[in-house]
Amino acid sequence: MSAPSLEAPRRVLAWRPGPVALAGAVAVALVIAGEIVSPGFAGYGQLVNLMRVAAFLGVIAIGQTIVIIAGGGGVDLSVGKVATFAAIIGSRVMAGEDGDLVPAVALALLVSAAIGLVNGLGVTLLRIPPFVMTLGMIGVVQGLILAYTGGRASGQAAPALTSLVNGRVIFDLPGLLFLWLLLGLLAVWLLRRTTFGWNLFAVGANRTAAELTGVRVNRTLILAYVLSATFAGLAGILLLGYTESVFLDLADQYMLPSVAAVVIGGTLLAGGVGGYAGTAVGAIVLTVLSGLLTTLDIGGAGRTVVNGVVLLVLLSLYGRQRRLRS
Amino acid sequence: MSPLLEMTGVRKRYGGVQALDGAALTAVRGEVHALLGPNGSGKSTLDKTLAGTVVPDSGEIRIDGAAARIGGPRDAHALGVAAVYQQLSIVGDLTVTQNVVLGLEPARRWGFLDHRAARARAAAALDRFAAAFPGGLPLDRPAGSLGPGEQQIVEVAKALARGPRILVLDEATASLHKEQVAVLFDVVRELRASGVLVVFTSHRLDEVFALCDRATVLRNGRTVGTVELAATDEAELVRLMVGDAPRRSGAPAAAARPSPSAGAAATLEVRGLTTERLRDVGFTVRAGEVLGLGGLQGQGQSELLLALFGAARVTAGEALLDGRPLPLTSPAGAARAGVALVPGDRGRQGMFAARPIQENLSLASMHRRARLRLALGAAAERRAARSMVERLGIKIGSLADPVSTLSGGNQQKVVIGKWLLDRPRVVLLDDPTKGVDVAAKEEIYAIVRGLADDGVVVILNSSDNRELTELSDRVLVLFEGAVAEELSAAAITEKRLVAGALRLTPGESP
Repeated sequence: MSAPSLEAPRRVLAWRPGPVALAGAVAVALVIAGEIVSPGFAGYGQLVNLMRVAAFLGVIAIGQTIVIIAGGGGVDLSVGKVATFAAIIGSRVMAGEDGDLVPAVALALLVSAAIGLVNGLGVTLLRIPPFVMTLGMIGVVQGLILAYTGGRASGQAAPALTSLVNGRVIFDLPGLLFLWLLLGLLAVWLLRRTTFGWNLFAVGANRTAAELTGVRVNRTLILAYVLSATFAGLAGILLLGYTESVFLDLADQYMLPSVAAVVIGGTLLAGGVGGYAGTAVGAIVLTVLSGLLTTLDIGGAGRTVVNGVVLLVLLSLYGRQRRLRS
Repeated sequence: MSPLLEMTGVRKRYGGVQALDGAALTAVRGEVHALLGPNGSGKSTLDKTLAGTVVPDSGEIRIDGAAARIGGPRDAHALGVAAVYQQLSIVGDLTVTQNVVLGLEPARRWGFLDHRAARARAAAALDRFAAAFPGGLPLDRPAGSLGPGEQQIVEVAKALARGPRILVLDEATASLHKEQVAVLFDVVRELRASGVLVVFTSHRLDEVFALCDRATVLRNGRTVGTVELAATDEAELVRLMVGDAPRRSGAPAAAARPSPSAGAAATLEVRGLTTERLRDVGFTVRAGEVLGLGGLQGQGQSELLLALFGAARVTAGEALLDGRPLPLTSPAGAARAGVALVPGDRGRQGMFAARPIQENLSLASMHRRARLRLALGAAAERRAARSMVERLGIKIGSLADPVSTLSGGNQQKVVIGKWLLDRPRVVLLDDPTKGVDVAAKEEIYAIVRGLADDGVVVILNSSDNRELTELSDRVLVLFEGAVAEELSAAAITEKRLVAGALRLTPGESP
């Protein structure tokens, strides 16, 4: 046997920015561009506002990140609908009363988790492709919403929830941003410092090897979908606190942006590589971009095109970086 | 008569392994020529060189006296070479007809397919095998709906539809029934009569003697001789395959280590284990013993290890560890019960290429160190990983580097190391030194010996007979999913291993 190996000297590599740094640079560039075309865009109040909008997307995308890391075509298209449903349940149960806040939130999250459980069981036990399973779930949840509301959302956010989300804490920052920070740290801890997180990356990187290493693959996948729906439900509750009353498609539009935020953040759609920090930056990039387009008064068609182009440019940059590194 | 096929000085290197080292093969028209050799002797590589799926590093191929350059399967087709392997190239969703004419579909003007001509051509190719299809030729059925033997026949028909001068059959009989083999042999004899050269490889020596005229024997990538089979007996073939080389390191493993006392408690007992590819396998291994699995590759060795690890569907039988039944239903259950598997395909089954070395090492055992089985301590994980890096001498840059940045030998040590952290009582190793360099090989041998010394039950499958003689206390030789022979201590020689693999009775082996 050779001498006990100590760490070989670290390879000296020219530092190349990773996806997170690249996406961050794009966010900063967008802010600067906004300030140039429309002075005041980068003002403190305006930036806080943008961050507040980004927070909802950021929280929904926590679950999306988890599901996409799990690999095997993992994606959760039902997050928007689940968030909407959670907000509807929450508003109706709390009905503007602080006293009913806790049971309302608990019930909303429980229902969300149950929907995630069904997604997870469908993907693992019935082997339905995640794309199809969660797409179908959108329809199911929509039906549940109609049955539950009779077509008219009712209720109202409890004042405590509203002040938690909108109330200014320090530096005139709304509570929502601190909640996002807290949940974001929780997500990073979950992915990087728990057995669940390491199992998840293993399952995403190589499902066969994970199975043959004694990882309970199905259990990990099911938990991923449960977490995805739960974080979506949580985002729905936060959104309810922000808007105070609900409507039937409150959070539906977050479906595709949540996937885009994950991808912009450098998480591989193939699974096994990525993390939440990137997703958070991705959520900010998308929000700043959308704010900039609004400022420029670009119509819906133009917006969609620009959004798509930015996504493609970033992804091609990531692909180039990966090739350069390997 | 001038030879139809002359291959000389063929060399091919895969990473650190010299698969072919100056192999030669000379064969004539109208001959069935066997290619024989132990595992890793290079027979498949030589077959593939001829068929164009492997491009050699150097060497000369002459067909009908003319120098042939075979840079790919298309070149081989153009030269009249067709090949059939054990692994099928059948497309399950296409019909039998479409499969047979695949790549040479008859076309009408403007590229429209001529279905009638295609069907006629496929029927002509399959007609010779009519006896193997009692229900009539399944021309319009999806190939995937046929049984494995029938698919193999379709594969041969597909090769024949190309009208080859040289037909390579590499373990093409492995999935056939007796009757199907008889049909195939009749066809091969017809081909021989019409002047085709058939190059034939099979692990069943009786088939070789029944069908072939001459045999070329390979050893370690070199041709050691060509014999007339009518004038040769099995013992002579084994002598050619193994050679007269003395044992390399002298003493066998059993002598190098105090042999486990016969009275020690039996640790792992396997009874009547049966799966799709295993038939009624039973044995007992004591703690501290290394049980080798020998035989030609693909005779059920990997399947046996997977079954013991709960990763193959077990239809009958059981395994007892210290008298308590092992759960054979899930790898997670097996791992919790103290069983570890180092699988045969490192990239696909053993490691997480894109993930850091740290996670690769921690994964199997981290639940032991986690608080509430959930929260991981960064420092504790680093300590655990570092202890393995030092114990196994793994050469790494940083624990945070992806495991794919390591050399093959170091990757394999990471795969082994992840299990050692779990302190297993049974370690199953599936060809652990395949594709690793010589130095790493010796280090892995030391790890295996160390495990046995620590009282772990070790079961080692190896395609390298020398490795089995060096490491095993006993060897089970497998043949077609069943234990064909058990060798112990002094009887573990390369000769006995090769003889056992070819299923020669012990008395006949020299």
